[in-house]
Amino acid sequence: MAEMTTNRIPLTAPPTQAALADRAPVVREGVTLEALPEGTILHLLARPTQVAAPFADKVAAAGLDLRVVAPGQWFATAPTVMSGADLVVLSQALKPEVDVVDQSHGRVGIVLHGPLAARVLAKGTAVDLDPSAFPVGRSATTLVGHIAAHLTRVNAERFEIVVQRGFAGSLFDDLSQMSLEFARL
Amino acid sequence: MTSYRLPTGGLVDRTAPLSFTFDGKALSGLAGDSLASALLANGVRLVGRSFKYHRPRGILTAGASEPNALVTVGTGGRSEPNSRATMQELYAGLVATSQNRWPSLDLDIGALNGLLWPFLGAGFYYKTFMWPGALWEKLYEPFIRKAAGLGRATYESDPDQYEKQWAHCDLLVVGAGPAGLSAALAAGRAGARVIVADEQAHAGGALLSETATIGGASAPCFAAAMVAELQSLPNVQLLTRATVFGWYDDMVFGAVERVQKHVAAPQAHRPMERLWRIVARRALLATGAEERPLVFGGNDTPGVMMAGAARTYLNRYGIAAGRKAAIFTTNDSGYALARDLEAAGVELAAIVDSRRQRPSDYRGKARLISGAIVTDARGGKSLSSIRVSHDGRTEDISVDLLAMSGGFNPVINLACHRGGRPVWSDAQGAFLAPESLAGLALAGAANAVTGIAACLADGAEAGARLAAELGFAAAPDSTPSVEDDIIAAPTAPLWSVPGSKVKAFVDFQNDVHVKDLGLAVREGYGHVELAKRYTTMGMATDQGKLSNVNAIGLLAQVRGVSPGEVGTTTFRPFYTPVSFAALAGAHHGRHFQPVRKSPMHDWAKARGATFVETGLWYRPAWFPQPGETHWRTSVDREVRNVRANVGLCDMSTLGKIEICGSDAAAFLDRVYCNPFLKLPVGKARYGLMLREDGMVYDDGTTSRIAEDRFFMTTTTAYAAGVMNHLEFCSQALWPELDMRLASATDQWAQLAVAGPKARAVLSQIVDDDISDAAFPFLAAGEVSLCGSALRGRLFRISFSGELAYELAVPAGFGPAIADAIMAAGEAHGICAYGAEALAVLRIEKGHVTHNEINGTVVPSDLGLGRMVSAKKPDFIGRAMLAREGLQAPGRAQLVGVVPLDKADAFRSGAHILAAGAETTLENDQGYITSSCFSPHVGSSIGLALVRNGAARHGEEIVIWNGLRGEITRGRLCAPVFVDPEGGRLHG
Repeated sequence: MAEMTTNRIPLTAPPTQAALADRAPVVREGVTLEALPEGTILHLLARPTQVAAPFADKVAAAGLDLRVVAPGQWFATAPTVMSGADLVVLSQALKPEVDVVDQSHGRVGIVLHGPLAARVLAKGTAVDLDPSAFPVGRSATTLVGHIAAHLTRVNAERFEIVVQRGFAGSLFDDLSQMSLEFARL
Repeated sequence: MTSYRLPTGGLVDRTAPLSFTFDGKALSGLAGDSLASALLANGVRLVGRSFKYHRPRGILTAGASEPNALVTVGTGGRSEPNSRATMQELYAGLVATSQNRWPSLDLDIGALNGLLWPFLGAGFYYKTFMWPGALWEKLYEPFIRKAAGLGRATYESDPDQYEKQWAHCDLLVVGAGPAGLSAALAAGRAGARVIVADEQAHAGGALLSETATIGGASAPCFAAAMVAELQSLPNVQLLTRATVFGWYDDMVFGAVERVQKHVAAPQAHRPMERLWRIVARRALLATGAEERPLVFGGNDTPGVMMAGAARTYLNRYGIAAGRKAAIFTTNDSGYALARDLEAAGVELAAIVDSRRQRPSDYRGKARLISGAIVTDARGGKSLSSIRVSHDGRTEDISVDLLAMSGGFNPVINLACHRGGRPVWSDAQGAFLAPESLAGLALAGAANAVTGIAACLADGAEAGARLAAELGFAAAPDSTPSVEDDIIAAPTAPLWSVPGSKVKAFVDFQNDVHVKDLGLAVREGYGHVELAKRYTTMGMATDQGKLSNVNAIGLLAQVRGVSPGEVGTTTFRPFYTPVSFAALAGAHHGRHFQPVRKSPMHDWAKARGATFVETGLWYRPAWFPQPGETHWRTSVDREVRNVRANVGLCDMSTLGKIEICGSDAAAFLDRVYCNPFLKLPVGKARYGLMLREDGMVYDDGTTSRIAEDRFFMTTTTAYAAGVMNHLEFCSQALWPELDMRLASATDQWAQLAVAGPKARAVLSQIVDDDISDAAFPFLAAGEVSLCGSALRGRLFRISFSGELAYELAVPAGFGPAIADAIMAAGEAHGICAYGAEALAVLRIEKGHVTHNEINGTVVPSDLGLGRMVSAKKPDFIGRAMLAREGLQAPGRAQLVGVVPLDKADAFRSGAHILAAGAETTLENDQGYITSSCFSPHVGSSIGLALVRNGAARHGEEIVIWNGLRGEITRGRLCAPVFVDPEGGRLHG
């Protein structure tokens, strides 16, 4: 690395701009829609034949939740930002079975919670959200309306949606529209 | 007044009157009424005019198949033409208007068509309006369209919301009549996830119109008890006002729910209609049977009604559809109506039974005429008499209501939506659903079962059987005892009656009568598909629900074959009309398609950017400065500033793909036509991707971040396409390669910093040494930024031809880093530039985009032939690229174009002609693919694909734009207008 220049232009505050900073929570009767804080979303890529995740312990030890994306692919998520150093450590620990692509800025989380969350989501996704078919902890990559997204049932009445940053505002607005029939009057 | 409300009876709420209007006249109905029943209660029986002959028409049915009582409901943006009055629930303030009449429903000039009827038979306009041909579009067609028709759609926008919803179940039961309800209960009690959908406002189906008692309770009460139990089961969902309109692949059913079509003041936050897509593991059609009309003269006269409908109006709505009735029947169902009418005190003049044998158990007072037919109904706008023919005699009977029943057609439409053909049954005298439908079964009257008890049992058995197939142990309940049910056993169909004096209608809605079908057969259109098109039978909005089987029977009769041999036309969705609004759902207006925003969107917006839609993205096109009133002023300034100083441009919309794994380099080497295997770590390379057919697919730079990791960029437009392509290559073509892919487009805010002062600006941001020696052209790597505040990726690549870098930072940092770059660049005269300036800069340099990569060019056409590796054993497109034609002389090649006179301009799309050549297709030499005003050249410039273009630099040509009538003299030149040696890149 070259010699550090002292006269650096600093990053102005706030250094990061959340994709959904301007979207206030939408509170309906029985369902609430909120943007999640932009924490950590790592895309873990193994061979497509890899179904189980033998590395789950390492991911958990790093404080991340594991969510299935596709055969051989997972998201490892955390509500807080992971430091670059920790990311390097984890990436090295997972080699060579798994490659890590940081998507913490590329993907944005949106949460729908409340007793009517599944009802609202069913307006967008073809995934069967009945607890028998989509239990807690299950994830699916699906379209929500016209937008590709990654859906996880976090608990009985809470669904987290991970969407590409560029579509986050549009998806938030679409979900708001889908929940409109339960508006508080 | 003919029809009227009885003092008692019906399921209507007599304490809840509702006012409404029909053709401006104030009327009153009751809660629980349909619009049709409310009109009948007010004695209104003329409700519409027919499509072609403008015949007076009344209410024929009480359900979804109604062909006559079509009205416009609502006003303004909410007006809905061709609404079936029989399906429209009454609400307070409903405004209904009759259609296809002028000046009024009662006095309709168009009815003169009826006098011309000998000339207006099937196909008349094909024969009549033959010549002169020019008059067809100008006169005949507009006239015919004006004279015939139904309601008119409004031009106002619909103020309401619509939405779509998915649902999943083990068993979908279509129809909540006796069979459907008992099936749903059997499966629901067993624990299966059941959805029951019914088109009516209340579940119960035929039970709501029935006077039999079931298990000691009235039929409607029995239905209500079944519904209550269903609603108590958490695994059962009951959808009312929901018409299942189609059966699609993968056991998906479409249904439309009329959420607020029945309310006086729709709530803005709720949808008007909801489109359901129901995924069912099994489905049961309990859709009942449609009563078959009888085809006799004047059978469309208001006052002639289906017997089952008359019974529904009587028992469900408490309405006598006439004061003096007759029944014309071929089966026992007419006797159920006879019994109920007499019990309600309505005078029943006669029962005309086509059968010789008298039913033994009729004990009413009406005169029973066996072996008889009704040949004609008379009365014009309201039935006054019928002519009965029996034993060689005719007699006229004065009545104002004639109820008819020609037997029953099981409603099997959905069962045939996936290609199955109905099967004719002589025993049932009806078409039945094809057998062995995967996943779908039928029960009750749809399954040709007759009688309430049998339908309950059939439904329960089917529900239990389908649940058991899915592993839910179910035991069908014992069927309750049913009393006073008149069961109509199947009888031989009566397709037509002889001796009618006036038109006997087969298809009421399209005004097709018996003689039209005979004409079709005589003129060679006897095949059912041809007869349909020749006569238009079955082609109206009711899709021939009442008419098709009769038409088939009549065709069979004329051709002397069985109805089975005639066959049916193809059943297709939709079962009943579905509004476009429901199909569009929420996807209209600003929700029509998603908006995709760069992480720099708000940053650019705050700087006054004018945006341009590119696909789903909104990209800054240019950044107007104070005083700039024309886009060209802004763009020219931005271009000049980049060439003179430095500019900042958002490149975040480029597709970005991370490619990892020990075989990542080998993978790229196969995907690109130029070599990538030995690209060193820390280097970027321009890559050209071909399709299998050898044509250029996409281009972009790919950098090696680490030994086993690459960062690919694609064009904005093909980002998703390239990702799919790579996935296909990885998963299907070369699964043996150890490599993996992830789209990282949205992870990075990518900023181009271009211009001679780019390094001076960026070196204030980047901590690492970015001197030309340390970070030369095509260097790439991770860098530290802003005093170790952040890490990013820096690429020494250039689209503008200037000294340039692209800096990628995690997306959320984009605006802050852009601010930092602008602050650092202030002293150097930095400006933000948009997609327009970007385009000018790249055209000046002859860099291609998808304007040039148009699917017909190979690398050599673009002057990139030397990029194609001759050493690699294989890559996508290699084999097909070797085709003779793709290497032959005379292909269109990339050239530059300038006007001879700098004041002249030309546009993309204009064609190139040799100077002096005639403007013919044969003389076409190619076309302008990209054009702009170049501040550097001082005139319009263009890139073009021109035959043999590479060898024609300097040739004078004509740029011809036939669309705009522009002819410009120009010259072909090298496609690089600025710095052809590329010295600026390496500064």
